[in-house]
Amino acid sequence: MTMNNRQLAGPFSMNTPSIFTRRQFLENTGTGFGMLGLAGLAGMGLLGNDAHAAAAGPLAPKQPHFPGKAKRVIHVFAQGAPSQVDTWDPKPALVTHAGKDVPGMKGVALPSPFKFTKHGRSGIPVSEVFPELAKHVDEMAIIRSMHTNIPAHEIATVFMNTGSLRIAKPTLGSWVVYGLGSENQNIPGYISLRPGRMPPGGSQNWQSAFLPGTFQGTSINTDFARVEQMIQNIRNPYLPLDEQRRQLDLVHKFNELHAQNLQKDAALEARLEAHEMAFKMQTEATDAFDISRETAATRALYGTSAQGKQLLIARRLMERGVRFVQVWASGWDHHQDIEDRLTKSAEEIDRPLAGLLTDLKQRGLLDSTLVVWGGEFGRKPTRDKNGNANPGRDHNNKGFSTWLAGGGIKGGTVYGATDEFGGQSVENPVHVHDLHASILHALGFDHEKLTYRYNGRDFRLTDNFGKVVKPIFA
Amino acid sequence: MNRTLTLFAVWTLAASPLVAAEQPITKAQSEFFESKIRPILADNCYKCHSATADKVKGGLVVDTREGLLKGGETGPALVPGNPDKSLLIRAVRYDDSDLQMPPKGKKLTAQQIADLTAWVKMGAPDPRKAAAAAKYKDPREAGKSHWAFKPVQKQTPPSVKESSWVKMPVDNFILAKLDENGMKPNAPADRRTLIRRAYFDLIGLPPTPAQVEEFVNDTSSDAFARVVETLLKSPQYGERWGRYWLDVARYSDTKGSVKKKQEDDKYPYAWTYRDYVIKAFNDDKPYNRFIVEQLAADRLASPDKTTLAAMGFLTVGERFMNNQNDIINDRIDTTTKAFLGLTVACARCHDHKFDPVPTADYYSLHGIFASSTIPGELPVIGKPANEAKYAEFQQKLATLKKADATYEAQMKAAKKAKDRKKAKSLQYKSAEIDSKIADLELKDAGSPPKAMIMVDKPRPSDSPIFIRGEADSKGPVVPRRFLEVLSGPARPTFHNGSGRLELAQAIADPKNPLTARAAVNRIWLHHFGEGIVTTPDDLGIMSDPPSHPELLDFLAAYFIEHGWSTKEMHRLIMNSAAYQQSSANNSKFAQLDPMNRLLWRANVRRLDFESMRDSFLFIGGKLSAQMGGAGTNLFSEPYSTRRSVYGYLDREAMPETLNHFDFANPDMATGKRYNTIVPQQSLFLMNSPLVVEQAKNLVRRAEFTAAKTDEDKLDVLYRIVYARPARAEEVKLSMAYLAETKPYRSVTAAPQQVTNAKTQKKKQNNKKRPEAYVEPFKARAPLGSWEELAHTLLIANEASFIN
Repeated sequence: MTMNNRQLAGPFSMNTPSIFTRRQFLENTGTGFGMLGLAGLAGMGLLGNDAHAAAAGPLAPKQPHFPGKAKRVIHVFAQGAPSQVDTWDPKPALVTHAGKDVPGMKGVALPSPFKFTKHGRSGIPVSEVFPELAKHVDEMAIIRSMHTNIPAHEIATVFMNTGSLRIAKPTLGSWVVYGLGSENQNIPGYISLRPGRMPPGGSQNWQSAFLPGTFQGTSINTDFARVEQMIQNIRNPYLPLDEQRRQLDLVHKFNELHAQNLQKDAALEARLEAHEMAFKMQTEATDAFDISRETAATRALYGTSAQGKQLLIARRLMERGVRFVQVWASGWDHHQDIEDRLTKSAEEIDRPLAGLLTDLKQRGLLDSTLVVWGGEFGRKPTRDKNGNANPGRDHNNKGFSTWLAGGGIKGGTVYGATDEFGGQSVENPVHVHDLHASILHALGFDHEKLTYRYNGRDFRLTDNFGKVVKPIFA
Repeated sequence: MNRTLTLFAVWTLAASPLVAAEQPITKAQSEFFESKIRPILADNCYKCHSATADKVKGGLVVDTREGLLKGGETGPALVPGNPDKSLLIRAVRYDDSDLQMPPKGKKLTAQQIADLTAWVKMGAPDPRKAAAAAKYKDPREAGKSHWAFKPVQKQTPPSVKESSWVKMPVDNFILAKLDENGMKPNAPADRRTLIRRAYFDLIGLPPTPAQVEEFVNDTSSDAFARVVETLLKSPQYGERWGRYWLDVARYSDTKGSVKKKQEDDKYPYAWTYRDYVIKAFNDDKPYNRFIVEQLAADRLASPDKTTLAAMGFLTVGERFMNNQNDIINDRIDTTTKAFLGLTVACARCHDHKFDPVPTADYYSLHGIFASSTIPGELPVIGKPANEAKYAEFQQKLATLKKADATYEAQMKAAKKAKDRKKAKSLQYKSAEIDSKIADLELKDAGSPPKAMIMVDKPRPSDSPIFIRGEADSKGPVVPRRFLEVLSGPARPTFHNGSGRLELAQAIADPKNPLTARAAVNRIWLHHFGEGIVTTPDDLGIMSDPPSHPELLDFLAAYFIEHGWSTKEMHRLIMNSAAYQQSSANNSKFAQLDPMNRLLWRANVRRLDFESMRDSFLFIGGKLSAQMGGAGTNLFSEPYSTRRSVYGYLDREAMPETLNHFDFANPDMATGKRYNTIVPQQSLFLMNSPLVVEQAKNLVRRAEFTAAKTDEDKLDVLYRIVYARPARAEEVKLSMAYLAETKPYRSVTAAPQQVTNAKTQKKKQNNKKRPEAYVEPFKARAPLGSWEELAHTLLIANEASFIN
């Protein structure tokens, strides 16, 4: 029996015990670029020939398929599934039907306790829970017709990040840094910020799955006061930097001798590169996470809450060329007491996020930074049966709202619509895959062509689906 | 554009409600079909959508009426009488941009579309005989011919030309394949490399310099075999290999998501399962017995009560806010992945897309687990760590329980009085007591160990199929029994209690084609860094074919014949020439087989986190030999010296360092960890006091301080850390480094923290997340030059890679 192609899977297959370097790949296979897509080829820049030449590293900036307006992304994940009919999708029919059956749904209509008023030149109605964000509607494209597959938090949360329900697949951020690299080689190109707890689904939400680990998101707990705690081991408590530099140079020399005996094993070379990045991270990342370096005026824009801190860090990262930052802004699972609880959740994010948009604009970064806000699914227009005296709303995957701003987005847009009661997307439905396709589009990628060969198949973020929502782009 | 349908595929039951009753067809209808419709379908669709297609696309066949009605992955293709709702018509009309048939612009003519539309409108009369349907292979049927579902075939090792290379029968298989592909195995690894490899492989620790020298100087032919025997007898073997199984068993000391205001999220006795697993490996418990104990120890008559702890396999999983169906799903998922290498949980909402596992089979297993429950009182299986403290423990427990009962009674009263606010606050109080009880049970020296068992419910029952996985849309009830693909269509139904014991026996049956294959593949994986099948938890149709199918069967048969002994497998594998090869590269073979699937060399492997940390502690002379007991925090100072396998694992707050080193996700069975190299690992090696302190310990060791010259000192370090003397060039580099080391100022601590460390610690402790606590940054005294050099050796690759 001769070996078939599947046995000799590509260099990026999961079969590889470690990351292959470009050099090793070339040495080992000679040719073979044919089996990799364009982006696969781009991904070949895994390691430079010269260990100290970081520019050629795996995260070196790369060109997308076509020039994209957006150069980087902040995804604010409103985890918990915010209610659309209480935020961005007003439904007067719920008032007229209050307490009555909603056709096609179990349960009775629960009108929103919140008032919607029109804002901006576009006159888009926004719920009173977002007084500050409302001032930015002219920057936003609000998609009111989102839908997803499963109304369960963990699955849907991971699905929003990976487009996959069960099998481990790379996250949106991983695909983005795989395709675009990062503009700063001294900080991870893909960072996930969380105030404390892990989100449902844990590290699946920033996994690179079958993409090389270098495209995995770095999760940082911003609950900590200092960067030394946010990023573990970011500082050496014994050695000053110059002494550590000397030590690291000796490590490299030892490693070179060690590798000679093994004729350049890929994993060993990858280590060398990782050490160098770690060394540089010590200074750059420390600076990036230190919001005390911001002016009082800037800090005031964001406020002092946990979300304010996260978003300000996110902006500092964007400025430094980090490609993709996900900000976890959880707490939207309002089964009961929606009036109080949603108000509270909205309050946590309203001012800081509005502050971010203002700040990005002031710095001329908004045009090139795509900001996305949204949850993993939406909520029902009906009263949650668990709600009792202070009702809330149950899970609903069939309709919800998400908005995008900056990065080539046509502001003041409302796209798609749910039905009369807000429970189901009926006009121009936008699936999670479509949102993914659109985010990649904003960055200059044809989502069907950003592929990676693994286990004999070309995989992409949008699986076999996805349609770019063109009308939301300017 | 209906994606819900796309994702939920078709739900195929024998009595599919989608198949409409046959209606008699008139002659005119039949003629219309034959003259207009059949040619369109045959010319444009059959190539991809018929029983004769090479590969049926999208699961849809259109060569029978049944096929059209049943449809494919996007749902029924036909709604008789309603063309607008028929996907077939929508597709040929090119209504949706993502469903256009025939594809690639080969759109039918307007007349053809009109004919099809008319045909559907008249109810899609179809004279084609159902006979054609029999030819169509359901993916489920096709799947049954997959290699992994066929019986294990006993294999005779193939004959090979270079028979002198062969040490064990596995070598025949490896060499024959290499030979076939024009490759040769590497020369044997040198003795130092080999003994280091063997030590890390079996006990997860390096050999001491004395052990290395003894082996290097032992020229007897069985020297290596004796090393293997010694290691198999070491209790540290179970700590190494038990951890691999704990990855598969998604082990954690906490429940994951629970209603924290109602219950505590700790498993105070999860560690009894961990200890059971370690002991099972040390005792070389026959694997078939290991299976049965983990699924049904409650039903076995065993004089050893500690075997009850085996059932933690089922019960240490996530608790999903007490959603019973999710808990059952986790148990089905873990059981089938762990023992069978089959992803049965994929069939929860629809028939398995690839493997022959219908939804009905999933709910057969569902019934078994739904008929089992965790008893209110867990059985005590041993004595407390400190027996003298037992009475005191009981007293403390009684006090807490009494307080709990009082709160609960008051809460009931408050509820009755409709005082919701009071009831709520009492519930919190009661939950606080629950946490105190859990803490006491977990940490008190007088707390006796208990087993996290399950028992059969008094009235076991079968489960209905949940259509699309939704509990409130129930389909037919299916009997409790094993999977059809593994036990045939005439499989018996289970009647012995819940059926858990029968399930366990069906899994452990030597005739089960998957069980032994999955087990030996896992063992192979951990010796070579890659399995014969690369996906140890999925041997199904989506897995890549085995690199050496005959060898896999040989190993499986050998395993069963040798009493399902894992240690026998280690002997078989480690005494082989294939295992003992060097890891040197060969550019020609690397080109032919870059993944080293055929094993022309030994793989260079990065140590997993546990082996790395444990070996650093061992090198520093600090590793504790203490076994068993409640989990310990590995990451806060003063650092625990216990082996990493005893680290406390909170699935909701996994220590970040573990994540950075690709530790197994405790929410799912993990047969193979990722193997990434990221800067955060470098930061740990370069900066973590946990590592640096071990370097400091290393130069405090007596061997080091007793060495007279700098060269001697360096030699001691190299032998301890790398199991070899330093080479000339390394000596030169090191001496130069020492000579150039100048005194430097200590690092200045960061300015006072915004949040006070104490408050933060308190805050985090309140969250009951001790492992997630991160020490504030503290500047420390500068390192001495030797400390710095020792640390350098730990950072360098040789310390954390096995050749």
